[in-house]
Amino acid sequence: MKYKRLLGFAVVAAAGAWVLYNFAPTAYGFYPPCMFRKMTGLECPGCGTTRALHHLLHGRVDEAFRLNPMLFVLIVVALFALPSFLRGRHPEFLMKPWFAWSAFVVLVSYWIVRNTPIYPF
Amino acid sequence: MNCPYCGTSNLDNASVCANCGRSLSAQASSYTPPPPPPSDFTQPSSSASSGPAYGGPAIPNYLWQSIVVALCCCLPLGIVSIIFAAQVNQKLAAGDVAGAMEASKKAKLFALIGFIGGLVLMIIWFAVSGAAFLQNR
Repeated sequence: MKYKRLLGFAVVAAAGAWVLYNFAPTAYGFYPPCMFRKMTGLECPGCGTTRALHHLLHGRVDEAFRLNPMLFVLIVVALFALPSFLRGRHPEFLMKPWFAWSAFVVLVSYWIVRNTPIYPF
Repeated sequence: MNCPYCGTSNLDNASVCANCGRSLSAQASSYTPPPPPPSDFTQPSSSASSGPAYGGPAIPNYLWQSIVVALCCCLPLGIVSIIFAAQVNQKLAAGDVAGAMEASKKAKLFALIGFIGGLVLMIIWFAVSGAAFLQNR
């Protein structure tokens, strides 16, 4: 059971990485777009994640950071959550109020800042 | 084994649940009613009538689903859902089981609306851009 999960995750991750590595999101239109940006013209906190992952897979960390610095926070959180998810368990920190509130504050403040001229990228 | 209180799967040799901290002894794993709560868990008297009392299934907060919805399609709905997700555990920590269940339901509702709405929008977008692509070929 444990290995099935691990195997499933590895297959999906490898397939996703292969597609992202070989097909640049700026050149191919089959990637899901950000509906928030399509409708409002503003960037959401997740905008640029696909393009940033493409650059990251090619080893261009600076480009990835420029497109979406929050991706690196997400990767760290995902790495913390991954072992629990692979064991079929709910990561404990997801059930802590402090984590949910910090996610809320980080998302909303990043969302506002990246749509203002203060944002450096 | 699965925790009889919150359903979390634990290692077979675990003595307490990794998620809720309650005992996983043999007596607890049989389907007898849960033992009376330890004194440090206070429980409002009202929760006996509304929602499962102490020992019921864990109340999901849908936090990661909310974050995914916020980042992948529907930012406002996802953010509302994150607020409710935070309230689930805050109310649970304060002993308000009924309130936590209410917040859990709302978190689920907003995340679900966001997910389905986003899915529909994307299908429309792909249909429109796909048609345009075929026309320009």
